[in-house]
Amino acid sequence: MSGIDNPIIFYPVSALMILMALLTIGYRNIFRSLLCAIAVFFFAGFFFYILGSEYNAVIQIAIYGIAVPVILGLAIMFTNTKGKMQEESSGKLKYVLFLTAGIFVLAMVYLILTSLAIVPMGFNFAEEITLNSLQVFSAFSNGIYVRYVWAFELVSLILTIVVVGLTLFRRINKCKK
Amino acid sequence: MQEITMYHYLFLGLLLFLIGLFGSITSKHIIKVLICIEFILTGVNINFVTFATFCDNVQLDGFIMALFYVAIGAVELAVALYIFYLMYIQKESENIDKYGDL
Repeated sequence: MSGIDNPIIFYPVSALMILMALLTIGYRNIFRSLLCAIAVFFFAGFFFYILGSEYNAVIQIAIYGIAVPVILGLAIMFTNTKGKMQEESSGKLKYVLFLTAGIFVLAMVYLILTSLAIVPMGFNFAEEITLNSLQVFSAFSNGIYVRYVWAFELVSLILTIVVVGLTLFRRINKCKK
Repeated sequence: MQEITMYHYLFLGLLLFLIGLFGSITSKHIIKVLICIEFILTGVNINFVTFATFCDNVQLDGFIMALFYVAIGAVELAVALYIFYLMYIQKESENIDKYGDL
């Protein structure tokens, strides 16, 4: 039994991940929320790893686990004056929302379970999961530089536009002041 | 104990997606809303990677889509934080209810 189909690995890690995600929403202190969110992103990276996508795991941990929390932490430090959220509790509305979300989740679970029962092999499964590093590397390079080269260029163009645009906006704002 | 199948991973992605959706609707703190949107993206990424691993282990398109998604997510976060910063200068509050106008 490898890591991908091992329940001893899957269940505890997924339970921790969901718990941390719920704590992120539940905490009123935004710093604690951020710490829980970091844990969620690391667990997601772990899942990518056991699913055989080491590249995605590394990128997930580097960007979402480290870079994004640093930026969010800086934003919190520069803006949050009291250290706690200034939320007004909306009482009944919150309970109604929780109830609605619970019903929605139950409906989705029911939908998935029934669809699995009706179509047990709805997807065309691959014969066997035999991913190795060379195969993943080959698929990545083939995907990024051959099949999705225009999408790759587009994403890099968007990134460049955002970096240049934000810098220009900042300068324009400074000049206005 | 039963082995873990593709549906387990899909269900995990779905749960993370729903938690993110719920948090982004109910939270009042704008940074928490941004974090919840990232949860949504992470849930979708888990689904992409799961489908690529279990259904397409030759071309692995889902891995590449997940890669693009991470890049776009980072861009979205940068832009959203900049808008938040501009709004915060005017409103001096993180409460999303006070951000009625852009």
